[in-house]
Amino acid sequence: MVAIVIAAHGNFSESLISTARMIFGNIENVEQVTFKPGEGIENLLEKYAIITESFDDDAVLFLVDLFGGSPYNAASRFVARRNNMDIVTGVNLPMVIEVLGKRLAGGTLEDLVQTAKQAGADGIKSFRDIFARQKMANSAMEDEGDVLG
Amino acid sequence: MKIKWLRIDSRLIHGQVANNWVNHVGASTIIAANDSAAKDDLRKTLLLQVAPGRTKSYVMTIAKTARCYKNPTYENLDVLMVVENPTDVLRLMDEGVEVTQVNVGGITFKEGMTLISEAVSVSPEDVKAFQELDKRGVKLILQQLPNTQSSDFMNRLKSKGLI
Repeated sequence: MVAIVIAAHGNFSESLISTARMIFGNIENVEQVTFKPGEGIENLLEKYAIITESFDDDAVLFLVDLFGGSPYNAASRFVARRNNMDIVTGVNLPMVIEVLGKRLAGGTLEDLVQTAKQAGADGIKSFRDIFARQKMANSAMEDEGDVLG
Repeated sequence: MKIKWLRIDSRLIHGQVANNWVNHVGASTIIAANDSAAKDDLRKTLLLQVAPGRTKSYVMTIAKTARCYKNPTYENLDVLMVVENPTDVLRLMDEGVEVTQVNVGGITFKEGMTLISEAVSVSPEDVKAFQELDKRGVKLILQQLPNTQSSDFMNRLKSKGLI
């Protein structure tokens, strides 16, 4: 199973995982890394090393908040020389939930990276955009016949 | 029509939760059987808006759902059915829908209700309906998500001193 590390500024990673439980249910093999004021890249590298030690030889997917931020910059140093690891940025709740689902279905690291990029972007929608294109239901037709609709 | 899973959830179709259950039970179609939602054009439109993209979804009255259930055209259709409360399950049964098992998933708390679990509250009317379902031999399972623990719902009502 691919191990997942969610790393982000402040308490975001912690909250994101506990919130994902509300929607996904039990979550295992996902680690959180917080990055607090006063900490630096070295602290993050140390945290990544400690966490991934417990993963044996498993592939690792880092989901980080900001491209170019410290959690990303540290992860990129960490991942660059390890082939079975990758990083996806812009972590959000749709991304986490879809990645967990894909992993449950036996997804490889490459599968999970694709799912993360796709779901992270697909989760962003404007109500007005959708509503304008949607056909309004017409209940005048509703209670007749035995045909679905 | 094959009802793969019948779930009580007062939110009816509800984003990711609907998605999880559809995948888990292998349904191709979601039917939200609810009279007030089916007759409310805006609510119906918005429920359909958030239905999972890969499935066909419908919001229909209890009566129409039962009629479609009996239509031989849909004999092999795998359906995830959601209703608002246990009384609507009884109404479906009275209209000829066969029900052997119900997943009690989510009933939002309102004044006068008793909290049964994190996600389920019951009114005195609900308790009566659940007792009737139990009497008719329907298995009642308390479970919120496919990968969270399930338990016997009637036992829970007993342990809460409601029956």
